[in-house]
Amino acid sequence: MIYEISHTTVYDYDGRVSFARCQLHLEPASRDGQRVLAHELHISPKPVESTRVRDFFGNWSLNVAFAEPHQTLTIRAVTTVEAPARDAIAPMLSEPWESVRSAAGVIDDLGAGSPVHGLFGSRHTPISAAAAAYAEPSFTPGRPIVEAVTELMGRIYDDFTYDPKATEISTPIAEVLSNRRGVCQDFAHLMIAGLRSLGLPALYVSGYLRTNPPPGAERLVGADATHAWTSAWCGAGLGWIGFDPTNAILAGEDHVVLAVGRDYADVAPSSGIVLASSGHTLKVAVDVRPIG
Amino acid sequence: MDVLTPPAGAAAVKAASTRAAALLAGYQPLPGIRDEFVDRDGRLRPHWAPVLDRLSGDPAEVDRAFALADRHQRDSGVYYRVYDAGQSRERSWALSHVPLVIPEAEWATLAAGLVERAELLDAVLGDVYGPGRLVADGSLPATLIAGSPDFLRPMVGLPTRGRRRLQIYAADLGRGPDGRWWVLGDRAQAPSGMGYALENRIALSRAVPDLYGGMNVRRLAPFFQTWRSALAAQAGREASRICLLTPGPLNETYFEHAYLSRYLGFLLVEGGDLTVRDGAVFVRTIAGLKRVDVLVRRLDAEFADPVELEPASRIGVPGLVDAVRSGKVVLANPLGAGVIEARGLLGFMPALARQLLGRDLSLPNVATWWCGHKAEREHVRRNLDTLAIAPAFPARSGWPLPPNPTPGAELDDKARAALETVLERRGFDVVGQEMVRLSTMPVWTGGRLEPRPFTLRAYVVATEDGWEVLPGGFCRVSGSQDARALSMQLGDRSADVWITADQPVERLSLLPSPAQPQIRRVIGYLPSRAAENLFWLGRYLERAEATVRVVRCLAGLLVESTETTGPARDAVVRLCDMLVAWGAAPESEHKGPKAPALLDQALRSAECGGSVLSLIGEARRTASVIRDRLSSDAVRALADLSRLFEHEGVSVSQAEALDLCDQALRVMAAFSGLVQENMNRLSGWRFLEIGRRIERGVLTGRCVRRLADAEASAASLEALLEISDSQITYRARYLMGALRLPVIDLVALDDGNPRAVAFQVARIQDHLAALSNLPTHAALDLPQKIVLQVATGLRVTDVEDLEPADVLAVENRLMELSTEITARFFSQTPPDPEEGA
Repeated sequence: MIYEISHTTVYDYDGRVSFARCQLHLEPASRDGQRVLAHELHISPKPVESTRVRDFFGNWSLNVAFAEPHQTLTIRAVTTVEAPARDAIAPMLSEPWESVRSAAGVIDDLGAGSPVHGLFGSRHTPISAAAAAYAEPSFTPGRPIVEAVTELMGRIYDDFTYDPKATEISTPIAEVLSNRRGVCQDFAHLMIAGLRSLGLPALYVSGYLRTNPPPGAERLVGADATHAWTSAWCGAGLGWIGFDPTNAILAGEDHVVLAVGRDYADVAPSSGIVLASSGHTLKVAVDVRPIG
Repeated sequence: MDVLTPPAGAAAVKAASTRAAALLAGYQPLPGIRDEFVDRDGRLRPHWAPVLDRLSGDPAEVDRAFALADRHQRDSGVYYRVYDAGQSRERSWALSHVPLVIPEAEWATLAAGLVERAELLDAVLGDVYGPGRLVADGSLPATLIAGSPDFLRPMVGLPTRGRRRLQIYAADLGRGPDGRWWVLGDRAQAPSGMGYALENRIALSRAVPDLYGGMNVRRLAPFFQTWRSALAAQAGREASRICLLTPGPLNETYFEHAYLSRYLGFLLVEGGDLTVRDGAVFVRTIAGLKRVDVLVRRLDAEFADPVELEPASRIGVPGLVDAVRSGKVVLANPLGAGVIEARGLLGFMPALARQLLGRDLSLPNVATWWCGHKAEREHVRRNLDTLAIAPAFPARSGWPLPPNPTPGAELDDKARAALETVLERRGFDVVGQEMVRLSTMPVWTGGRLEPRPFTLRAYVVATEDGWEVLPGGFCRVSGSQDARALSMQLGDRSADVWITADQPVERLSLLPSPAQPQIRRVIGYLPSRAAENLFWLGRYLERAEATVRVVRCLAGLLVESTETTGPARDAVVRLCDMLVAWGAAPESEHKGPKAPALLDQALRSAECGGSVLSLIGEARRTASVIRDRLSSDAVRALADLSRLFEHEGVSVSQAEALDLCDQALRVMAAFSGLVQENMNRLSGWRFLEIGRRIERGVLTGRCVRRLADAEASAASLEALLEISDSQITYRARYLMGALRLPVIDLVALDDGNPRAVAFQVARIQDHLAALSNLPTHAALDLPQKIVLQVATGLRVTDVEDLEPADVLAVENRLMELSTEITARFFSQTPPDPEEGA
């Protein structure tokens, strides 16, 4: 499926901003069968510095600095991208989760695709006994990894309420776990923390979800903003597989990968340091339109 | 000539040798533990003989000499910030007076081992952030690198300036029962302790100069010179600017950052002082942005750049990674060097040495089993009772045991169960380590010597063509006889380390290299933040002084008058009102005499922001962040000042208030004198002065309006003269009592009177003129224009025409000047940075 995606971010500052330095993750990379056909980025005001960097995980990041005093920062990314259909996976045929765990720990690979980067706690996904305890029931002895992770995803979908007012990006997992509410980032983080705490590799994926469902299908949650899900390493054979706990589905043709990292902090669409004396409001609009 | 040893009469010699024998006999090494001072049979090791000899003198004299060292430490403000119960406070340094003595020949072996290790770790770092061969060929587990919080992914594949990734390396060493030195841990994040080592050396060598001079102790200074040159040489510019990047005054070793930067002539900067433009790093100074070539990094790398590393960091430099990427700045150590600190790595060092260096390490580390591999995991499970258990990586969440190595034998059932869970799920987070039994060295306590376990931190820095080892180090001596978990934060002491040669040491053995760039000894441009803090230090101190003067005057008047009776009641009322207006005391809720209570509140109230106590607190807070720019005497004077007002208890009487004020004014005068004498008269001093002068001008103006209006009594005019310290001048000039116009003329308009408003303005004018010689500005800037207008106004005004409104206008102009100075010199640091989405 080919999509045209427009992603607009507007920062309105209460006061004038004299200098800002930001990192943008708004350009998808061609990877794992996904092909980027066109990408444009419009930024106002014009940055005085702009460096495009391919980061460790293979994402494109753009480091920009603004020195012109401004009160509004508008960033609009327009991308045409082809998302591949994913082959169906037979969960039963995947390796037992214990052998995936053993294999991940001893792999001789430090490259971007290596499972080792998904094993350790990070800012939003600390290793914790609570996260392990939540995930553990799905991992019965000898269970095939895809089956176990799929069940974990389904439990998060069932146990948690999607509630944009319940959390912010800084809300810790422990709180999400006790309140049982949150948004896609929270569910992805929780799932990652659970997997890692059991010794299984998991990464965070930020991306887009097709806005309007195909005829007859239900509209997916999280479609009008950037979306996030979990990528779990399912052994050397299957590699990384995307699990979307917000919708309880595997990431497929409806999911466009924007960036992959250890957690949100690695891949925030826009982040940085703004020198301003007061607060700001942020508006984000995302439109994902299938064009063929 | 040795002046401290008592006359060498035969009797004294005999007494000393008796005492030496007694000291030695009373020294009981711990069973099964090696001791530095005596051998297994209790015989003194020969290289310690001069130390024993020195300690065998008159015990009272020995205590006096050591007390001198303590006093030096205290006076120079050496401190370490400790954290307990969620609070942080400063603790003065505890020096263990007996130095650790290591003969040069033994040290040479140790130093060669350190260099070898540095070489190896540098190679490992280069490979991890470069080609990655060691992981690919299975010599280094990927998990062991990926698991380190200091493996900074943005740094992978970035080129480094210079030959080496590792610029500063420290090793924590211990000596085992067989006499071999062992590495307990490798340090490369931002190793601390070099500054303390220097400070210990200074304190001890001054306390026992005879002993120090007689033992041919290797000097530390050449090492620091070599290091400084090596750093400067990498800058690639003629006049390189080297900065020491500190996390700030709340860091536990901030004193050391300030101390080292002063000693080495580096600019001490915080993240907020720096900015990245076009891939280069600049420091914000009072003369604009100045390029930085080398950053000695004492800030943990993770926090060094909020844009590409830890987004929540408020102490970093946005864009620093970009600057590294563009190759326009050298970091020592580079970002990500801390990855080699992972304890798990110790298990792989022997094999890596054979692979990369082609030989075994001559300085091995403590045997370590990393539980990421099955065989080692099983070994640790089987030998839990004889091993210590520790996390494989520093500072990770979810670790269920203590962060320091814990003997497996001491784990209870619950801890064992938790450990077993981690081993099963995440074995790569765990290491088992051989239990280390450290050797002991003597400490001097109560006229006796006692053995205490110690560790030694040694330092190696990269030079242009190799490595340089600090001949000495930072020795930490345990407070108890159990040396398993040494941490400076747990109340240990530190000792100097003496490497003793057979021959007299050369004072300076540095070969100057022809390409050696010039080193800046004079600290160049003043960072805006430092300037601003000096400015406010000046303002707070002056306000405190003025308040003390008002209180003293009031206390004097209250001897014979109240608000309602007595010859000076008018002045009493006015002074009380003034203290309330200044925020030094609260508004009185009830009618009736308030003056006596006011005295105490204005001096010691913690609630009133304008009380002397509060103002001095503010002054100290401002001073604490510019510690590198104040002499230790000045810092001490501030502490003394604060102590005067801190004491608890009932409110002070008039007499006590008078006495307190007198004492405070004396200390304040001492502080001013120290600043005048000791602060180099560069721009920093001028900002402190400008702050003082603005405050004095404003407050004197206020006093004139309050105490010398048309209705003011003679007593009020006298009070004005007293507060503005102008009585003597007035008496000398006018042979009569206080009259309104002459008094006003003297304290407001007379630019020959150091307390007059006009004098303050004239001084500010001088300072601003000197500051404007900075090359970037030619024409009069706004602050200069303001002060010129005020000065001219005061000069052309006759005292007969000076209305209260005119005085008020001058005060307002001075306040405006303060704002404009802030805008002109300080505010390139914009207000609090704020994070984006």
